[in-house]
Amino acid sequence: MSDKSSSSEAIGQADNIYLPKLARIAGIKEEVPGARGIKTFRIEFLDGDGFEHDCGQCAMISVFGKGESMISIASPPSVKEYKQFSIMRVGRVTTAIHDMKAGDIIGVRGPYGNTFPVNDWKGRNLVFIGGGVGLAPIWPVIQTAVANRSDFGKITVFYGARTSRDIMYAAELEKLRGAADVHLSVDSPEEGWEGYCGFVPANIMDKPQSADNAIAITCGPPIMIKFVIKNLSEMGFSAEQIYTTIENKMKCGVGKCGRCNAGKDYVCVKGPVYSWAQLKDMPQEY
Amino acid sequence: MEMILKKDRLGEWAAKLRGSAEVFAPVFADDSWNFCKVEPGAELTFDHGNTVRPAKGFVFPQREVLYRFRQESGEAPQLTPTLPADGPAVVFGVRPCDGRAMVRNDKVFTCGFADPYYQARRDRVVFVGLACNAPPSPNCFCLSVGGSPHAGDGLDVLMTELDGRYHVKALTAKGKEIAGIAEALFDKAGAADSSEVEKVHAAARSHPQRSIAAMEKVAEGLKRNFDSPQWDTLAQACIGCGACTYLCPSCHCFDINDEVSSHSPLAGERVRTWDNCQFPEFTMHTSGHNPRNTTGARLRQRICHKLLYFVENHNIQQCTGCGRCISHCPVGIDIVRVANVMEEAAGQ
Repeated sequence: MSDKSSSSEAIGQADNIYLPKLARIAGIKEEVPGARGIKTFRIEFLDGDGFEHDCGQCAMISVFGKGESMISIASPPSVKEYKQFSIMRVGRVTTAIHDMKAGDIIGVRGPYGNTFPVNDWKGRNLVFIGGGVGLAPIWPVIQTAVANRSDFGKITVFYGARTSRDIMYAAELEKLRGAADVHLSVDSPEEGWEGYCGFVPANIMDKPQSADNAIAITCGPPIMIKFVIKNLSEMGFSAEQIYTTIENKMKCGVGKCGRCNAGKDYVCVKGPVYSWAQLKDMPQEY
Repeated sequence: MEMILKKDRLGEWAAKLRGSAEVFAPVFADDSWNFCKVEPGAELTFDHGNTVRPAKGFVFPQREVLYRFRQESGEAPQLTPTLPADGPAVVFGVRPCDGRAMVRNDKVFTCGFADPYYQARRDRVVFVGLACNAPPSPNCFCLSVGGSPHAGDGLDVLMTELDGRYHVKALTAKGKEIAGIAEALFDKAGAADSSEVEKVHAAARSHPQRSIAAMEKVAEGLKRNFDSPQWDTLAQACIGCGACTYLCPSCHCFDINDEVSSHSPLAGERVRTWDNCQFPEFTMHTSGHNPRNTTGARLRQRICHKLLYFVENHNIQQCTGCGRCISHCPVGIDIVRVANVMEEAAGQ
């Protein structure tokens, strides 16, 4: 019988969904110090062998010898020369990448998942609500909106962290003022802190936003997202006006390894971006 | 293409195939039936009910290296993909439930992002099915999930045992090819053979089986009972061993990890292994948050994946009724019972 294995040899590297592209860490910025610190990694693909992405998409980051982690792409799609990932040091892979230096090489495969429908939001007021490292997934949307400022109405950014030392993108958030209303919060009172004290859902109740012609985009710890959505609904935001991006543990990124599903959807393929109108009727397994 | 093979010529067919392919068949060893390589001179006896381990391992092995990595100090890592390059293989004695599971596995691995490792193995393997003349397990329920003891989907050849001979039906080009290799061994099937096959198949269908009473209502029942406290009750005895999914012919969940063989220079393999939705760590976020943090939620995931989500995504159940998850569960958790309970609760 004929040797069928020849067909597998015909599969080039480009078609191998598990094979990452190599990228060099071009720069590292420490956003938040400490055991659960956050660093922003700027990466450049070797030999220009990269990919384009859209707001909300993720990529699987490889540290060879340690494994892979799914991380949202924090740089806006308009930036083609590099990509940025803001990563909290929590597990095996994220700890390993935190220990890397500029010039070190990682693997990246992607982009994965769906996107925020930013083009549909032209002319509308945008309310961003982020918590902790959950500012990173919505950061490309904020960047895109601010870069195309005249396309959108009022832009408001709520962001909260445990303490003032845990605030990521601190300088960039200050730079946003002018283009956007920025409301920062920390969980408990601190000496010298002039912003809001309390959790993020409480901060938005403290500064109620009009739902008229508005879209709210939120990301943070699952428990924060749940209360933010509840409070937005109380302010009059309909389920169609609220968007979030959810995370689940992922291994493949391509809808096969079986663990990131919420109901019938594999979040890595059908998500991570959902309107609350879509999400509220799905099993709350995220 | 329908043919007749005398029983005493089965060994000759296998020997002929061994000239260009590896040949596997159910073998009784270590107190259980499993697919093993057929060595020259070994006799093929199809006395098995069903194998303990399903046929999925031929296309989706328990452990598989995706690529090797190697990095000399100060240099870029070298990645070497390890796509399967084995020659052809012929697997005899595959039961129709395992064949139908291949159709499900194809949906997972070849739709959307095509998986080259799975595809390479799927291309190389020829599945020769064996119709079940008697129900091979007390927990069979293929008829409830749209199958039958002689279903051919997913198989390349279907063999049916008749008196002193096998009726051999080639279902695909690959199937025709392996029959063509040993053409001289076969006789043409006549009208009498065909009518005997029909009788045998009809008799097989009439054997009593376990039954999901109203399969068409199960998906709705599962949807409506998603938050039912019954999940915790049904899962109470579960010890989280995962035998149900490891032995399932269509469970496809996997993990990907790095196995390091040298630190300086860095060298190792990126490896894919079977994983299991019944393990708490399967879905646990790095933060410790776990979306499926109870045994009940994990049983619900297994059952809903098979009988609700897969139906919603692909219009077919992901279960083919082989009954392994029931037979091998150490605490008696029973997908047929769970489906019936959920369907009845929906009707109330």
